[in-house]
Amino acid sequence: MQSKLSDIDLIEQTLAGNQAAYADLVKRHQRFVFTLAMRFSKSREDAEEIAQDCFIKAYRSLASFQKQSKFSTWLYSIVYTTAMTFLRKKRVDTDSIDDENTYIQLENHSSGLNNDMAETKSRSYYLNQAIGQLLPDDATIITLFYMGEQSLEEIGQAVGMEANTVKVKLFRARQRLKEKLEKNLKGEVKELI
Amino acid sequence: MNTIEERLWNYIDGTCSDEERKAIDMLIEQDAAYRLKFEELLNFDQQLVKMEMEEPSMGFTYKVMEGIRAEHALQPLKAGINKNIIKFIGGFFIVTITLLVIYLFASVPVSHANLSKPLTDNIKLPQGLDFSGFKNYLNGSVILKVFFVFDVILALFLTDAYFRRKKLSKQV
Repeated sequence: MQSKLSDIDLIEQTLAGNQAAYADLVKRHQRFVFTLAMRFSKSREDAEEIAQDCFIKAYRSLASFQKQSKFSTWLYSIVYTTAMTFLRKKRVDTDSIDDENTYIQLENHSSGLNNDMAETKSRSYYLNQAIGQLLPDDATIITLFYMGEQSLEEIGQAVGMEANTVKVKLFRARQRLKEKLEKNLKGEVKELI
Repeated sequence: MNTIEERLWNYIDGTCSDEERKAIDMLIEQDAAYRLKFEELLNFDQQLVKMEMEEPSMGFTYKVMEGIRAEHALQPLKAGINKNIIKFIGGFFIVTITLLVIYLFASVPVSHANLSKPLTDNIKLPQGLDFSGFKNYLNGSVILKVFFVFDVILALFLTDAYFRRKKLSKQV
Protein backbone atom coordinates (compact mmCIF):
# COMPACT_ATOMS: atom_id res chain seq x y z
CA MET A 1 0.00 0.00 0.00
CA GLN A 2 2.80 2.39 1.01
CA SER A 3 4.57 2.06 -2.34
CA LYS A 4 1.52 3.45 -4.13
CA LEU A 5 1.67 6.67 -2.16
CA SER A 6 3.09 9.70 -3.93
CA ASP A 7 6.17 11.52 -2.67
CA ILE A 8 3.95 14.35 -1.43
CA ASP A 9 1.76 11.90 0.56
CA LEU A 10 4.85 10.43 2.18
CA ILE A 11 6.18 13.90 2.99
CA GLU A 12 2.91 14.88 4.63
CA GLN A 13 2.92 11.69 6.68
CA THR A 14 6.52 12.35 7.72
CA LEU A 15 5.65 15.88 8.79
CA ALA A 16 2.80 14.45 10.82
CA GLY A 17 5.37 12.40 12.74
CA ASN A 18 5.37 9.10 10.83
CA GLN A 19 9.04 8.29 10.34
CA ALA A 20 8.27 5.03 8.56
CA ALA A 21 6.93 7.18 5.70
CA TYR A 22 10.30 8.88 5.46
CA ALA A 23 12.03 5.50 5.38
CA ASP A 24 9.84 4.67 2.35
CA LEU A 25 10.87 7.93 0.72
CA VAL A 26 14.53 7.08 1.32
CA LYS A 27 14.06 3.60 -0.20
CA ARG A 28 12.40 5.15 -3.22
CA HIS A 29 15.20 7.61 -3.99
CA GLN A 30 18.31 6.02 -2.45
CA ARG A 31 19.62 4.38 -5.62
CA PHE A 32 19.56 7.58 -7.58
CA VAL A 33 20.94 9.74 -4.77
CA PHE A 34 23.73 7.22 -4.25
CA THR A 35 24.49 7.12 -7.98
CA LEU A 36 24.64 10.88 -8.07
CA ALA A 37 26.92 10.92 -5.02
CA MET A 38 29.18 8.40 -6.76
CA ARG A 39 29.64 10.90 -9.59
CA PHE A 40 31.35 13.22 -7.13
CA SER A 41 33.18 11.03 -4.69
CA LYS A 42 34.50 8.13 -6.82
CA SER A 43 34.45 5.88 -3.77
CA ARG A 44 31.49 3.90 -2.42
CA GLU A 45 32.23 4.78 1.21
CA ASP A 46 32.29 8.51 0.54
CA ALA A 47 29.25 8.26 -1.71
CA GLU A 48 27.29 6.51 1.05
CA GLU A 49 28.33 9.21 3.49
CA ILE A 50 27.22 11.95 1.08
CA ALA A 51 23.93 10.18 0.31
CA GLN A 52 23.16 9.65 4.01
CA ASP A 53 23.99 13.25 4.76
CA CYS A 54 21.64 14.36 1.97
CA PHE A 55 18.70 12.38 3.31
CA ILE A 56 19.29 13.68 6.84
CA LYS A 57 19.49 17.26 5.54
CA ALA A 58 16.34 16.72 3.49
CA TYR A 59 14.56 15.41 6.59
CA ARG A 60 15.59 18.43 8.60
CA SER A 61 14.33 20.82 5.93
CA LEU A 62 11.27 18.83 4.91
CA ALA A 63 8.88 21.38 6.40
CA SER A 64 10.39 24.06 4.16
CA PHE A 65 9.79 22.05 0.96
CA GLN A 66 7.35 24.22 -1.01
CA LYS A 67 5.86 21.41 -3.16
CA GLN A 68 6.00 23.70 -6.19
CA SER A 69 8.65 21.53 -7.81
CA LYS A 70 9.07 17.76 -7.77
CA PHE A 71 10.48 16.32 -4.55
CA SER A 72 13.20 14.63 -6.61
CA THR A 73 14.33 17.98 -8.07
CA TRP A 74 14.48 19.48 -4.58
CA LEU A 75 16.35 16.44 -3.27
CA TYR A 76 18.85 16.50 -6.14
CA SER A 77 19.63 20.14 -5.43
CA ILE A 78 20.52 19.06 -1.87
CA VAL A 79 22.69 16.25 -3.26
CA TYR A 80 24.46 18.68 -5.57
CA THR A 81 25.25 21.23 -2.87
CA THR A 82 26.18 18.56 -0.30
CA ALA A 83 28.47 16.81 -2.75
CA MET A 84 30.12 20.09 -3.75
CA THR A 85 30.71 20.93 -0.08
CA PHE A 86 32.08 17.44 0.45
CA LEU A 87 34.49 17.89 -2.46
CA ARG A 88 35.65 21.21 -1.10
CA LYS A 89 36.19 19.72 2.34
CA LYS A 90 38.09 16.78 0.99
CA ARG A 91 40.05 19.11 -1.29
CA VAL A 92 39.68 16.71 -4.12
CA ASP A 93 41.24 18.04 -7.27
CA THR A 94 38.49 17.67 -9.84
CA ASP A 95 41.08 17.41 -12.59
CA SER A 96 42.85 14.58 -10.82
CA ILE A 97 41.24 12.08 -13.17
CA ASP A 98 43.40 13.54 -15.92
CA ASP A 99 46.56 13.00 -13.89
CA GLU A 100 49.27 10.92 -15.39
CA ASN A 101 48.96 8.29 -12.69
CA THR A 102 45.26 7.88 -13.25
CA TYR A 103 45.81 7.45 -16.93
CA ILE A 104 48.36 4.78 -16.22
CA GLN A 105 45.78 3.03 -14.06
CA LEU A 106 43.12 3.35 -16.74
CA GLU A 107 45.49 2.21 -19.45
CA ASN A 108 46.41 -0.83 -17.41
CA HIS A 109 42.80 -1.51 -16.68
CA SER A 110 41.82 -1.21 -20.33
CA SER A 111 44.71 -3.26 -21.58
CA GLY A 112 43.68 -6.04 -19.25
CA LEU A 113 40.32 -6.29 -20.91
CA ASN A 114 40.21 -8.87 -23.58
CA ASN A 115 37.29 -9.48 -25.89
CA ASP A 116 35.71 -12.03 -23.60
CA MET A 117 35.70 -9.63 -20.70
CA ALA A 118 34.25 -6.93 -22.88
CA GLU A 119 31.40 -9.25 -23.72
CA THR A 120 30.74 -10.34 -20.20
CA LYS A 121 30.85 -6.89 -18.65
CA SER A 122 27.70 -4.97 -19.27
CA ARG A 123 27.51 -1.87 -21.39
CA SER A 124 26.21 -0.13 -18.33
CA TYR A 125 29.44 -0.89 -16.52
CA TYR A 126 31.55 0.81 -19.17
CA LEU A 127 29.24 3.77 -19.38
CA ASN A 128 29.30 4.21 -15.62
CA GLN A 129 33.07 3.86 -15.64
CA ALA A 130 33.44 6.52 -18.33
CA ILE A 131 30.97 8.83 -16.59
CA GLY A 132 33.04 8.38 -13.45
CA GLN A 133 36.01 9.82 -15.33
CA LEU A 134 34.19 12.99 -16.32
CA LEU A 135 34.28 16.19 -14.32
CA PRO A 136 31.62 16.18 -11.58
CA ASP A 137 29.49 18.80 -13.35
CA ASP A 138 29.40 16.84 -16.62
CA ALA A 139 28.72 13.58 -14.82
CA THR A 140 25.94 15.16 -12.76
CA ILE A 141 24.15 16.64 -15.75
CA ILE A 142 24.27 13.35 -17.68
CA THR A 143 23.09 11.43 -14.62
CA LEU A 144 20.26 13.84 -13.87
CA PHE A 145 19.13 13.86 -17.50
CA TYR A 146 19.20 10.13 -18.14
CA MET A 147 18.74 8.50 -14.75
CA GLY A 148 16.90 11.17 -12.84
CA GLU A 149 14.48 11.75 -15.70
CA GLN A 150 14.75 15.47 -15.10
CA SER A 151 13.97 18.06 -17.76
CA LEU A 152 16.55 20.70 -18.66
CA GLU A 153 14.61 23.23 -16.56
CA GLU A 154 14.54 20.89 -13.55
CA ILE A 155 18.25 20.18 -13.87
CA GLY A 156 18.77 23.93 -14.00
CA GLN A 157 16.86 24.28 -10.73
CA ALA A 158 18.87 21.51 -9.08
CA VAL A 159 22.30 22.81 -10.06
CA GLY A 160 21.48 26.53 -10.11
CA MET A 161 21.91 27.15 -13.84
CA GLU A 162 19.77 28.40 -16.70
CA ALA A 163 18.08 25.71 -18.81
CA ASN A 164 20.01 26.87 -21.89
CA THR A 165 23.32 26.58 -20.05
CA VAL A 166 22.34 23.06 -19.00
CA LYS A 167 21.53 22.24 -22.64
CA VAL A 168 24.97 23.38 -23.80
CA LYS A 169 26.67 21.60 -20.90
CA LEU A 170 24.75 18.40 -21.66
CA PHE A 171 25.86 18.50 -25.27
CA ARG A 172 29.50 18.98 -24.27
CA ALA A 173 29.26 16.35 -21.54
CA ARG A 174 27.98 13.77 -24.03
CA GLN A 175 30.84 14.60 -26.39
CA ARG A 176 33.38 14.18 -23.60
CA LEU A 177 31.73 10.95 -22.54
CA LYS A 178 32.07 9.58 -26.06
CA GLU A 179 35.73 10.57 -26.08
CA LYS A 180 36.31 8.82 -22.75
CA LEU A 181 34.60 5.68 -24.01
CA GLU A 182 36.65 5.71 -27.18
CA LYS A 183 39.80 6.14 -25.14
CA ASN A 184 38.89 3.41 -22.63
CA LEU A 185 37.64 0.87 -25.12
CA LYS A 186 39.62 1.87 -28.17
CA GLY A 187 38.19 0.01 -31.17
CA GLU A 188 35.47 -1.73 -29.24
CA VAL A 189 33.46 1.41 -28.72
CA LYS A 190 31.59 1.13 -32.02
CA GLU A 191 30.46 -2.38 -31.20
CA LEU A 192 29.58 -1.52 -27.64
CA ILE A 193 27.53 1.56 -28.33
CA MET B 1 27.67 27.62 -33.60
CA ASN B 2 25.18 24.89 -34.39
CA THR B 3 27.04 21.83 -35.59
CA ILE B 4 25.37 18.82 -37.21
CA GLU B 5 25.90 16.86 -34.02
CA GLU B 6 24.35 19.59 -31.88
CA ARG B 7 21.33 19.81 -34.17
CA LEU B 8 20.92 16.05 -34.06
CA TRP B 9 21.11 16.00 -30.27
CA ASN B 10 18.43 18.72 -30.12
CA TYR B 11 16.35 16.56 -32.46
CA ILE B 12 16.83 13.44 -30.29
CA ASP B 13 16.15 15.35 -27.04
CA GLY B 14 13.09 16.98 -28.59
CA THR B 15 14.31 20.48 -27.87
CA CYS B 16 14.36 21.77 -31.47
CA SER B 17 11.62 23.77 -33.16
CA ASP B 18 9.04 22.19 -35.48
CA GLU B 19 10.69 23.74 -38.54
CA GLU B 20 14.08 22.43 -37.53
CA ARG B 21 12.63 19.00 -36.85
CA LYS B 22 11.09 18.83 -40.33
CA ALA B 23 14.38 19.91 -41.88
CA ILE B 24 16.29 17.24 -39.96
CA ASP B 25 13.67 14.63 -40.89
CA MET B 26 14.34 15.39 -44.54
CA LEU B 27 18.10 15.33 -44.10
CA ILE B 28 17.97 11.95 -42.37
CA GLU B 29 15.84 10.61 -45.18
CA GLN B 30 17.95 11.97 -48.03
CA ASP B 31 21.53 12.16 -46.72
CA ALA B 32 23.17 8.82 -45.92
CA ALA B 33 26.01 10.38 -43.90
CA TYR B 34 23.52 12.38 -41.87
CA ARG B 35 21.41 9.25 -41.27
CA LEU B 36 24.47 7.31 -40.14
CA LYS B 37 25.40 10.01 -37.65
CA PHE B 38 21.83 10.16 -36.40
CA GLU B 39 21.70 6.40 -35.85
CA GLU B 40 25.02 6.50 -34.01
CA LEU B 41 23.84 9.25 -31.67
CA LEU B 42 20.43 7.66 -31.18
CA ASN B 43 22.09 4.38 -30.24
CA PHE B 44 24.35 6.19 -27.79
CA ASP B 45 21.33 7.97 -26.32
CA GLN B 46 19.46 4.69 -25.88
CA GLN B 47 22.41 3.12 -24.12
CA LEU B 48 22.50 6.06 -21.73
CA VAL B 49 18.78 5.68 -21.06
CA LYS B 50 19.26 1.97 -20.27
CA MET B 51 22.19 2.65 -17.94
CA GLU B 52 21.82 1.01 -14.54
CA MET B 53 22.03 2.89 -11.28
CA GLU B 54 24.49 2.14 -8.52
CA GLU B 55 23.18 0.22 -5.53
CA PRO B 56 23.99 1.42 -2.00
CA SER B 57 24.70 -1.05 0.79
CA MET B 58 21.88 -3.22 2.18
CA GLY B 59 21.46 -1.29 5.38
CA PHE B 60 21.44 2.14 3.77
CA THR B 61 17.89 3.12 4.77
CA TYR B 62 18.49 1.87 8.29
CA LYS B 63 21.67 3.92 8.56
CA VAL B 64 19.87 7.05 7.39
CA MET B 65 17.07 6.56 9.91
CA GLU B 66 19.64 5.86 12.61
CA GLY B 67 21.43 9.07 11.67
CA ILE B 68 18.18 10.97 12.01
CA ARG B 69 17.50 9.45 15.41
CA ALA B 70 21.05 10.06 16.58
CA GLU B 71 20.95 13.70 15.65
CA HIS B 72 17.52 14.19 17.16
CA ALA B 73 16.61 15.59 13.82
CA LEU B 74 13.00 16.23 14.64
CA GLN B 75 12.81 19.59 12.95
CA PRO B 76 9.86 18.68 10.74
CA LEU B 77 7.81 17.99 13.87
CA LYS B 78 9.01 21.19 15.48
CA ALA B 79 8.35 23.11 12.31
CA GLY B 80 4.93 21.50 12.20
CA ILE B 81 3.85 23.42 15.32
CA ASN B 82 1.46 26.14 14.30
CA LYS B 83 3.39 29.39 14.46
CA ASN B 84 0.14 31.31 14.90
CA ILE B 85 -0.19 29.81 18.39
CA ILE B 86 3.25 31.14 19.30
CA LYS B 87 2.34 34.54 17.85
CA PHE B 88 -0.95 34.51 19.76
CA ILE B 89 0.80 33.75 23.06
CA GLY B 90 3.36 36.49 22.41
CA GLY B 91 0.62 38.95 21.47
CA PHE B 92 -1.39 38.05 24.54
CA PHE B 93 1.51 38.85 26.85
CA ILE B 94 2.28 42.14 25.09
CA VAL B 95 -1.37 43.26 25.27
CA THR B 96 -1.68 42.18 28.91
CA ILE B 97 1.49 43.98 29.98
CA THR B 98 0.44 47.12 28.08
CA LEU B 99 -3.00 47.08 29.69
CA LEU B 100 -1.49 46.58 33.15
CA VAL B 101 0.89 49.52 32.67
CA ILE B 102 -1.94 51.75 31.43
CA TYR B 103 -4.16 50.68 34.32
CA LEU B 104 -1.36 51.29 36.81
CA PHE B 105 -0.68 54.81 35.55
CA ALA B 106 -4.36 55.60 35.35
CA SER B 107 -4.96 54.49 38.94
CA VAL B 108 -2.12 56.58 40.44
CA PRO B 109 -3.51 60.03 41.44
CA VAL B 110 -0.90 62.78 41.04
CA SER B 111 -2.11 66.22 42.20
CA HIS B 112 -1.21 69.36 40.24
CA ALA B 113 -0.17 71.21 43.44
CA ASN B 114 2.62 68.77 44.19
CA LEU B 115 4.08 69.09 40.74
CA SER B 116 4.06 72.91 40.72
CA LYS B 117 6.68 73.10 43.52
CA PRO B 118 10.40 73.60 42.61
CA LEU B 119 12.14 70.51 41.28
CA THR B 120 14.43 70.08 44.30
CA ASP B 121 11.40 69.78 46.56
CA ASN B 122 9.87 67.21 44.32
CA ILE B 123 12.70 64.70 44.61
CA LYS B 124 10.73 63.07 47.39
CA LEU B 125 7.68 61.17 46.33
CA PRO B 126 4.70 63.50 46.00
CA GLN B 127 2.49 63.44 49.04
CA GLY B 128 -0.55 62.90 46.92
CA LEU B 129 0.82 59.64 45.60
CA ASP B 130 -1.59 56.97 46.70
CA PHE B 131 -0.40 53.37 46.49
CA SER B 132 -3.45 51.93 48.22
CA GLY B 133 -5.17 51.39 44.89
CA PHE B 134 -2.20 49.43 43.59
CA LYS B 135 -2.06 47.37 46.83
CA ASN B 136 -5.73 46.59 46.47
CA TYR B 137 -5.13 45.72 42.88
CA LEU B 138 -2.42 43.20 43.87
CA ASN B 139 -4.50 41.81 46.70
CA GLY B 140 -7.86 41.50 45.12
CA SER B 141 -7.93 42.31 41.38
CA VAL B 142 -9.89 39.75 39.42
CA ILE B 143 -7.90 40.54 36.25
CA LEU B 144 -4.62 39.71 37.96
CA LYS B 145 -5.98 36.46 39.39
CA VAL B 146 -7.24 35.45 35.95
CA PHE B 147 -3.84 36.37 34.51
CA PHE B 148 -2.01 34.17 37.02
CA VAL B 149 -4.38 31.26 36.50
CA PHE B 150 -3.88 31.56 32.74
CA ASP B 151 -0.11 31.55 33.23
CA VAL B 152 -0.29 28.38 35.31
CA ILE B 153 -2.50 26.65 32.73
CA LEU B 154 -0.15 27.74 29.93
CA ALA B 155 2.88 26.47 31.84
CA LEU B 156 1.17 23.11 32.39
CA PHE B 157 0.19 22.91 28.73
CA LEU B 158 3.71 23.66 27.50
CA THR B 159 5.25 21.20 29.97
CA ASP B 160 2.84 18.53 28.79
CA ALA B 161 3.71 19.26 25.14
CA TYR B 162 7.43 19.08 25.95
CA PHE B 163 7.12 15.69 27.64
CA ARG B 164 4.94 14.35 24.82
CA ARG B 165 7.60 15.31 22.26
CA LYS B 166 10.32 13.76 24.40
CA LYS B 167 8.33 10.54 24.72
CA LEU B 168 7.70 10.44 20.96
CA SER B 169 11.37 10.92 20.15
CA LYS B 170 12.26 8.05 22.49
CA GLN B 171 9.71 5.77 20.79
CA VAL B 172 11.12 6.67 17.39
